[in-house]
Amino acid sequence: MRYIPNTEEQKKEMLKEIGVSSFDDLIKEGVPQSIRLKGKLNIPEARSETELEEKIYNIAQKNSNFYLMKPLIGAGAYRHYIPEAEKFLLQREEFWTCYTPYQPELSQGTLQSIFEYQSYISRLIKMEAVIPSIYDGASATAEAALMSLRLTHKNKIMVSNLVHPHYRETVKTYLAPHEPEIIELPYKNGLVDLEKLKILINEDVASVIIQNPNFFGGIEKLAEISEIVHSKDALLIMVIAESISLGVLKAPGDIGADIVTGNAQSFGMDLNYGGPYNAYLATKKEYIRQLPGRIIGETTDVDGKRVFVMTLRAREQDIRRERATSNICTNHNLNVIAADIFLSLIGTKGLYQISLLNTKSAHYLENLLLKSKKFEKIFDYPFYNEFLLKSKEDIATINKKLLENNFVPPLKICEFYKEENLKNVLLFAVTEVLSRDNLNKVAKILSE
Amino acid sequence: MTNKVIKNLYYTKSDEWLKVEDDMGTVGITDYAQDQLGDIVYLEKIKKGKKLKQGEALTTIESVKAVSDVNTPVSGEVIEVNEKVMEDTSIINKEPYGEGWIAKINIDNKDELKKLMNNQEYSEYRKE
Amino acid sequence: MKLIFEKSIKDRDGYSLPGDLFKEIKIEDCLPEYAISKKKKLLSEVSEVDVVRHFTKLSKLNYGLDDGFYPLGSCTMKYNPKINEKLASLNNFTYAHPLAPEETVQGSLEIIYDLNKLLCEITAMDEYTMAPAAGAHGELTGNLIMRKYFVDRGDKRHKMLIPDSAHGTNPASAAMADFQVVEVKSNERGTVDLTELARLMDKDTVGLMLTNPNTVGLYDEGIKNIEKIVHHKGGLLYYDGANLNASLGIIRPGDAGFDVVHLNLHKTFSTPHGGGGPGAGVIGVKKDLIPYLPTPIVAFDSTHKKYYLLDLGSKSIGMVRAFWSNFPVLIKTYVWILSMGPDGLYNASETSIINANYVLAKLKKYYKPAYDRYCGHECTVTGKEYKKYGVKTLDIAKRLMDYGMHPPTIYFPHFEPYAEETIMVEPPESESKEMLDKFIEIMIKISNEAKTNPELLTTAPHNTPIRRTNDLVAAKRPILTYDDELKLKDELKYKDKNIDF
Repeated sequence: MRYIPNTEEQKKEMLKEIGVSSFDDLIKEGVPQSIRLKGKLNIPEARSETELEEKIYNIAQKNSNFYLMKPLIGAGAYRHYIPEAEKFLLQREEFWTCYTPYQPELSQGTLQSIFEYQSYISRLIKMEAVIPSIYDGASATAEAALMSLRLTHKNKIMVSNLVHPHYRETVKTYLAPHEPEIIELPYKNGLVDLEKLKILINEDVASVIIQNPNFFGGIEKLAEISEIVHSKDALLIMVIAESISLGVLKAPGDIGADIVTGNAQSFGMDLNYGGPYNAYLATKKEYIRQLPGRIIGETTDVDGKRVFVMTLRAREQDIRRERATSNICTNHNLNVIAADIFLSLIGTKGLYQISLLNTKSAHYLENLLLKSKKFEKIFDYPFYNEFLLKSKEDIATINKKLLENNFVPPLKICEFYKEENLKNVLLFAVTEVLSRDNLNKVAKILSE
Repeated sequence: MTNKVIKNLYYTKSDEWLKVEDDMGTVGITDYAQDQLGDIVYLEKIKKGKKLKQGEALTTIESVKAVSDVNTPVSGEVIEVNEKVMEDTSIINKEPYGEGWIAKINIDNKDELKKLMNNQEYSEYRKE
Repeated sequence: MKLIFEKSIKDRDGYSLPGDLFKEIKIEDCLPEYAISKKKKLLSEVSEVDVVRHFTKLSKLNYGLDDGFYPLGSCTMKYNPKINEKLASLNNFTYAHPLAPEETVQGSLEIIYDLNKLLCEITAMDEYTMAPAAGAHGELTGNLIMRKYFVDRGDKRHKMLIPDSAHGTNPASAAMADFQVVEVKSNERGTVDLTELARLMDKDTVGLMLTNPNTVGLYDEGIKNIEKIVHHKGGLLYYDGANLNASLGIIRPGDAGFDVVHLNLHKTFSTPHGGGGPGAGVIGVKKDLIPYLPTPIVAFDSTHKKYYLLDLGSKSIGMVRAFWSNFPVLIKTYVWILSMGPDGLYNASETSIINANYVLAKLKKYYKPAYDRYCGHECTVTGKEYKKYGVKTLDIAKRLMDYGMHPPTIYFPHFEPYAEETIMVEPPESESKEMLDKFIEIMIKISNEAKTNPELLTTAPHNTPIRRTNDLVAAKRPILTYDDELKLKDELKYKDKNIDF
């Protein structure tokens, strides 16, 4: 076996050194004979590398050729262009094959990169302390909700109905054992219903979870929301599902967020059929002892050099066990490095321009589709790069046309929202991978 | 390893000490405890007026690589908190029995003192 | 080394945008004024060349598995085959949107479906969820499944038994499921004390979370009795798969009576650790627990010959993440299993067990074993003999770096009187006898140095990119961003900052 260097001869030699006559002799004490597997595992016999390559290529052919297919769908997973330099650098084994940086002397590459990423995110969202990696936006939002319960000692959470449906589901799953009251905050005309928020909120609420841009792409009135939430001493948890939006939108920390969670997939991560992505979870320094997960800090070594280490460790599971702020250990570290490289490449100007371009091209497409008269607006709301339109034509027909022309169709919103007026409504998403020509083509196909 | 023990104090099995003056008790952690923890970096905020039962957690103390509860040796109400150690936790490492005291408690029931150890008993208890 | 921010030069570009920027559209016509950021957010301004050099240099400060020996106990740092990486990054997989129509992702679904079958056979379980993103995430998922299972039966169990030797994630996960954690002491052989277990296992107890071999690297020979005790009281048995690398083709958790199993695909199944993820912590269950798995799972419609996502309905604990899985990790696992075949898997476990016992046999004269018996795929020895020379296990570990090796896991597990100052060595099947001999030789050399020149150890490492760090300052005055550093720039005096480009 090519991944196992020791030969049968060597193994025999080693068994002799151990002082046993056979492998069975070595394990008979620990593994009772009665539960040992009789015979071999019933799985296919080993295949050579060339056979395997053929097999997997064949399976891959059963997927559509997604490289050529431009997505009109987002809904929490966005295809952005990933510069080749990032993909190339990520292949370095020093990043790929190493363990969690428990030994800082041998891990400065990972540690410094995470520190840089924390610095980037802190600037983008204006928060002081950034946990660089929770698995994804959904689990990070659930962790933030748990954190708000610990900080306030209350047991009621309010969640906007326009938070990503999977995030809401995950929050419910994580919180279920603590039996909190979870209040769903309704929307009105594509945005959080501020009047309902005023009515529903009271002093018992630990936190209010709002996504911006929301699941419909809408831009929430965060300053007003923040005022209402804080007037009742609740914490405002702001969720970002599309982090590129930070290029043009105000930083959550500047508009009153207490905890911010963000899906960082757009920062240089492939779609990969749903994961691994990554999420940051950030807050103010006064709340750092309640943060879940790993964080990197700066210090010096014995020679006085600036170095980076894992810090504020006493919150974590390996030290605090059942009283830890979370059980998280392995996270999505390599995605953090990917994002650090991505943000370094696009830089100040790049982030602004991609964000601007995504906003404008989404509005361009909406305009074209409305002009075609085959679609109509159902809400009049400001949006970023995703928008809802009701189709006059049957959705199955639209999907067929789009797939035939190498576009991944937009999301049927009725998969997640059962309201009568959301039938036959599509959630379109536009990023820079769709050129003006692509958008014109989409409009043309859908006008016919 | 160090384990300095002071006379005329009461001690707990969880390594706190208590100095009793009339109805008031001063609480800190022992030299043994600070040595086991190593460099202390953080002490969780204590609310004045908090009422605690004997053995309940008064606060949590963190070092770089460990964390531990500080339990109250007696039941009572927290009447004073040592703001100086809250600011500079290294005082606890340097002077666990003096400047490093953590809080003062109004003792509810002096009978509870019977459950605590004296300096000799504590020395014996923590002998390696 | 400089931070990327310290290499930033105004107006430098590292990225090229599409030429058409829709100049005729004004941002003010798209977004409301209250939402638009007045100023550009400051990142850094560097060229592509700067970025490539920066990260190449950073990478060289890391020690990876491809650099050499990496014997971290309980981490299974085995070789990450290169073909896995290639096949996991085929365009048809990488660019697939998670909400794309099912007919466009039949290949991805087939892999998930087939992998489920393989994992079920390897572990003797009935169904897997691929959702959990990491071991601890799997543990949480497993705990929530057990919780819902009992809640549905109107059985109010609220305690979870966990051996003192368990990973910290076990009690932390049980606590997240709001279970009261009850610690089970180990006996003098390093395994679960059966009398103690029988005493603690009652009708209020959900069950036991067990790693086997356990975290000391020892097989729990009482496994059959453990199973009886837990099941007799109506409890469930949870298998922490961190150490499955000692069991492939030898013993299957399902056959031993485990009801819920988590597997760390980034350990036993050869996918890379990435400096702390992404991995995957898939959960397998026995038949009765299938309805409680996170929704959805992948199913096959034999009439229409197509794979689809099946919603598990109201019994499911719900979702534990957005979308379905860490998909590339699943492909790598799938490819690895097929590369190995049944004989290869057995060979992997057999070799790793022989490797660990060989290291133990050769080292035990110099480093006392925590328990004097044969081990599984990892061995635990202690450095406590060297305390009298003023040398701690930490110093031994740091000294190993000077010899170009990554240290083993240290100070875990820790419980007195057996396991203190522990050194846990896991030499997986991808390590050759020559590599082990080299490691053994160095460890013996270090034991001599500890006696004759302890300072060499207490000041180690000497020739790593950086040396021992001041963790106290890091925790007392947290500098968590470059902007934090800038605020303190007058106080901080670094030696190398500007010299080292």
